[in-house]
Amino acid sequence: MTDLPTPNGCDDWRSTRRRALAQAPRMVPLPDQALDGLENFAKGGGITRRDALERGAGLFVACTAASGMSLHSLLDAAAAEAADNPNGTILVSLCLDGGNDGLNTLIPLADPRYHQLRSRVGIASEKTLPLKGVSEFGWHPALGGLQKLFDAGKVAVLPSVDYAKPDLSHFRSAGFWRTGIAVPSRVTTGWLGRTLDAMGGYSNPLKAVSLNGNFDSVLSSKRAPSATVYDPGDFSMWVRGVWEEDTLLSAYRQSAAGSTRSTALKAAKLGYRQTITIKNKLKPLAGDAKDLPPTPVPYPDTETGRGLKNLARMLDAGLGTRIAALTAEGGFDTHDNQPEEHERLLKDLGDSLWAWQADLQARGLSRRVITLVWSEFGRRPEDNESNGTDHGAGGLALVVGDRANGGIRSEFPGLAKLDPDDNLRVTTEFRTVYASLLEGWLGVEAGKVLPGIGRARLPLVGA
Amino acid sequence: MTKAARKQAQIERLMWRAGFGARSEEIKRRSRAPLAATVNQLLKPKGRALSGRPMKVDRKRLQPKTEWGHDVMWWLDRATRTRHPLLERMTLNWHDHFATTGEAIDEPALMLRQYWTIRRHALGSFQQLAKAMVNDGAMQLFLSLIDSSKEDPNENFAREFFELFTLGVNNGYTEDDVREAARAFTGFVYDEERRRFGWDAENHDNGVKRILGQEGRFGPMDVVRIAVNHPKHAPFICTKLWNYFSPGPPPKALLNKMVRIYRRSGTNVRPVLRLILTSPALYRRLDQPDMVKPPLVYLAGMMRQTRWRPDGKDHWAWILFLMGQRPFHPPSVAGWEQNTAWISSHTTLARYQAANAVLGERLKDGDVPVGESVDKAIKRARRAVGDPRTSPTTKRAMRQYAKRAVRHPWSEEHYAAERQRGLRHLLLAGPDAQVC
Repeated sequence: MTDLPTPNGCDDWRSTRRRALAQAPRMVPLPDQALDGLENFAKGGGITRRDALERGAGLFVACTAASGMSLHSLLDAAAAEAADNPNGTILVSLCLDGGNDGLNTLIPLADPRYHQLRSRVGIASEKTLPLKGVSEFGWHPALGGLQKLFDAGKVAVLPSVDYAKPDLSHFRSAGFWRTGIAVPSRVTTGWLGRTLDAMGGYSNPLKAVSLNGNFDSVLSSKRAPSATVYDPGDFSMWVRGVWEEDTLLSAYRQSAAGSTRSTALKAAKLGYRQTITIKNKLKPLAGDAKDLPPTPVPYPDTETGRGLKNLARMLDAGLGTRIAALTAEGGFDTHDNQPEEHERLLKDLGDSLWAWQADLQARGLSRRVITLVWSEFGRRPEDNESNGTDHGAGGLALVVGDRANGGIRSEFPGLAKLDPDDNLRVTTEFRTVYASLLEGWLGVEAGKVLPGIGRARLPLVGA
Repeated sequence: MTKAARKQAQIERLMWRAGFGARSEEIKRRSRAPLAATVNQLLKPKGRALSGRPMKVDRKRLQPKTEWGHDVMWWLDRATRTRHPLLERMTLNWHDHFATTGEAIDEPALMLRQYWTIRRHALGSFQQLAKAMVNDGAMQLFLSLIDSSKEDPNENFAREFFELFTLGVNNGYTEDDVREAARAFTGFVYDEERRRFGWDAENHDNGVKRILGQEGRFGPMDVVRIAVNHPKHAPFICTKLWNYFSPGPPPKALLNKMVRIYRRSGTNVRPVLRLILTSPALYRRLDQPDMVKPPLVYLAGMMRQTRWRPDGKDHWAWILFLMGQRPFHPPSVAGWEQNTAWISSHTTLARYQAANAVLGERLKDGDVPVGESVDKAIKRARRAVGDPRTSPTTKRAMRQYAKRAVRHPWSEEHYAAERQRGLRHLLLAGPDAQVC
């Protein structure tokens, strides 16, 4: 066992591994067939023997004949080693809920029809912010933060991303984007949840995090757990009038321990064990957000800013997080009086992303994190009589990060010819964006996550 | 297990699976009569449907048609106060089966109307229920029956009708059947301004269709009749019914019996439920409960166990949202994923916090005598929450907790109450409380 590489995985793995090493004399390698019949593993949400072997985890699997260490925790340790690579890439999904107006985010200066269609809410060309090396577009004037990131080569811009026959219902379209399936279906898992399933290693519930205080179904998975955290400094299992929280939690832990033949009870026990694990792992972050040291650039005090700030702290704490999902301060559904509202939202977005990148850089994480900014659809090119815009197609997506392949990375279809519903023509399917990030960034085969995905990929990740 | 204990465990399981739980007094009372007597009462509810007074928010009656979350709380309130638990539970089950989601149609009044339609047929004829669903406005909007015309028939409803409602995925029908049934389902219209649903003969395709091997100038109700008489229908629907009460496939002999009685009665649901609820297979492994309580059942059940009522705040809809089940808002046309799918690290925390909301501030420091023995403290906690079933593991955890929870002599009044809060919380929300 001493020949094994020095472990430098997540702390969870390290402590388990220390325990394993302390018991080394009594350990014997586990023949891989022994994993076959392991109750629960194939069906109940653990790792299968094949998963273990595929990930090279078998190397670390050992059993202790009569020690206190269960096979489960050993497998967990193995899975953690396989999955929680400390230099693992991290993908963040940032949703602009309500249908962001892409045409007023990135203004097509060179398109003569823009000002005809946008006589009410159009942005004057001279007010837009230039993009380095790109003359046909300008940023909305509130997007100074994003402009700086783009000019530094850290933003891949994707105009008109959507899917064929766009559905203009928020509910349906957001459902397609979250499930990663662009037709009506009954799939309840999210594309990032299936990504977690495909990554394997289900021992760390903090491997994926929802940041807005309620679960983002884009992380919905068949097997992999994830955590919902609003403020990592205050992940609470507080009960009113109970001062000795730890005493109560140890009673919970005790009643969640042990095995049972009932799969339902097993799930209930596992749910509690995971929740308590999350709480314990977040303990080092406990405290009042006001007492934290300042970040290099202050974050806006908005849902977006707070969410990204909290996420940066969690990523820095080395909890093995690989995927995160959050929703920006909304709402982007600007049917009426768009100009003022949209300006506020875009300013928040640009400033938050700028603070986020600076924070990540200061923490030495910026080369490990890519943020995908998306919205369920774009808005109608022609504005409406209420000084707003209605639901449209072909939204704007952004891929942000030190390792994003900066530049305009998909085709803008122009406004001269629109689709039959007078919407922007879709040039790029959002699933192609997902597939490109899965393979180019997370190292997960796209076909395992996105059924029926074609071969097209976009160069979204650079050196 | 003694015979009496076994009987009580049976009734406890029955009341959770066929209703929304019960306190130990009710369980003990019912366990003195034959099981069939309780089943009969469940199947033929009599008298007032609800007990007590309607829930209020900020001292005002619920506004389920207009206020966010009030539709959800309206159902929670009914589940909490119901005196016809099986009827209420079957209404929820059929809502899951014919899942229509409020988000997509954005008209709570239509969803409430659908609730009453389902409830009217919940223990009666499936064929009548299915016909009522074809005629239901919320359903027609949700699955694109509205404006499906002979020129441009929409297959959305026809496909789900076979796949989810009557036969099961790829179970005895073809794509042609779906296309032909879609033609038969054309003709429904909706006047949005006057909010009136109707039928437009001009829009209906009255040509000859071939559906599941039969030929004729079929209309919407003919498709229902043909589907429920298809040989694959009865086994499909009986299995589905069984799974609302027990996980895994039904025993073969029981399935045959259910199918026979379902057909003989002309798609009547009541005799099938009687078979299920009196079947020994339902009561297997009473010490290893193998179903997860759906969130609405869990929450309403906690209220019933404690004989408390939701307080007058409107956070209950939010709590149900976090636990993953808002009635009137199923995630898709396939309804909710049941059983272990209810449990995740997110929903576990929500279920834990739900017990906080139920316990509230009811127990004040000083309400509990100081210096109570461990046994007495546990007994008191059990009594307060209806004495639910607990596993030996939880019993041990409770004893240890009761020993350790009283900490500092300088604040005995507080700690005596704190111990009660902790014990009650564990009884209401611990792992054992999640299953039935």
